[in-house]
Amino acid sequence: MMDPRIVVVDYGMGNIWSVLSALRYLGCNPIVTSEPDEVVRAQGLVLPGVGSFRKAMTTLRHTGLDKAILEVVQNRGRKILGICLGMQLMGSHGSEDGDTLGLGLIPIPVDKFTFEEIGVNKIPHIGFNSVRSKPDAIIFRSLPETADFYFVHSYRMLSAGLSGEVATCVHGTEFLAAYEKDNIFAVQFHPEKSQTNGLLLLKNFLAQ
Amino acid sequence: MPKKRLIFALLYNSGQFMLSRNFRLQKVGDIKWLQTNYNFSQISFSIDELVVLDVTRNERDTGAFCEALKILSEGCFVPIAAGGGIRTISHAHALLHSGADKVVVNTPLYESKGFIGELAREFGQQCVVASIDIRRVADGAYRAWTEAGSRCVEGPAAYWIERVTNTAVGEIYLNSIDRDGTGQGYDLQLLDQLPLDMPKPVILAGGAGNATHLATGLADARVDAVATAHLHNFVGDGLKRARQSLIAGGVDLPVWDVQLLEQHRKAQDTASFN
Repeated sequence: MMDPRIVVVDYGMGNIWSVLSALRYLGCNPIVTSEPDEVVRAQGLVLPGVGSFRKAMTTLRHTGLDKAILEVVQNRGRKILGICLGMQLMGSHGSEDGDTLGLGLIPIPVDKFTFEEIGVNKIPHIGFNSVRSKPDAIIFRSLPETADFYFVHSYRMLSAGLSGEVATCVHGTEFLAAYEKDNIFAVQFHPEKSQTNGLLLLKNFLAQ
Repeated sequence: MPKKRLIFALLYNSGQFMLSRNFRLQKVGDIKWLQTNYNFSQISFSIDELVVLDVTRNERDTGAFCEALKILSEGCFVPIAAGGGIRTISHAHALLHSGADKVVVNTPLYESKGFIGELAREFGQQCVVASIDIRRVADGAYRAWTEAGSRCVEGPAAYWIERVTNTAVGEIYLNSIDRDGTGQGYDLQLLDQLPLDMPKPVILAGGAGNATHLATGLADARVDAVATAHLHNFVGDGLKRARQSLIAGGVDLPVWDVQLLEQHRKAQDTASFN
């Protein structure tokens, strides 16, 4: 069988170890790279990340990874899965550490949870929480309509009424937990830290 | 509101995993032994978080600990916190690059507030778990202890808990040395030492011997998570059954169905034959 060349983009932010373990557990043998040339040849991309939006975007631009990602996803139609900061970077722009343009694959901005939004809850939003998904969402296939996933984040996307908004979660206010449109997939939670719920989701992405 | 958590803690000492009773250590076995005799993968699918502490009392071999951490984290799809003797950013970095998502610190909480701030700036506050070991002294008062429970910190425990809470840590791991490894249940009075308006998550540890103890801990509104390090009391499917009984009893723990992944896999295999 031909290796499907799943590429995990390593731009030096956050823990990619657990993403790799989860993919390997599912029988996938991902390529880890920070080289735009490698990224361009991918059949599928995983964009993980934890940390600052601005710092991450600056790195992606500086290394040319931003163009490589857009080339693969927009021109070559390959699939991409953004995880946590990875999802946020796919947004239109982020306000963390000053306004910064994102990759623009998801036309929604990324802002910090406001105190009005969270009420008695805390920032960051940490821990397992219930995610409600649409029945036809590909990456939630075989999972119940409400399933628990692990979150660690202070910034979020809110609904903009788009068809790609396939799952939501409530932390004081309802925010976007997952986005899925054509070859573009993104989750605000960490599937690699969400037991078999997360493994199933990753498996669905790989099977796409 | 995030769900409550059930945490399993593994204690590592120079290549061996240990049982602890009142902080006295007893050897259980190495990582192979853990995998074959304790079916660690079953344990890891029954918990919400894993804590791995290097409790080696003499010279620590961080490289060897990191290797053990990597092996453990390979089949464990929940957040992992690791610690033991962390005094430098590079030490924390090594653990975070071996599968850990968070680091656990103890002694520097009392002596080196600057270092806690440095850790938080480097990795984020949510990445720092403050482990506070508490033991009662002769007059019954609660005191914090450091250096693996060997040195008493002057002043009331409540004062230190509040002070640590106000530093750049993400959560508090509150451990009773008196109950540690006894299986007699958590010391719930320990929770009275917490600030009234506790702004950070609290993990209660020390003393759990059965599912009822875990349930009692989780039933307290001040407790966000309960931890147990008792390998013997939760062997085989002990933790799995404890988890099931907690969920059946209405405790708000995350839910997943291990069978679903298996079924999904089978369904796909069948589909590929057709």
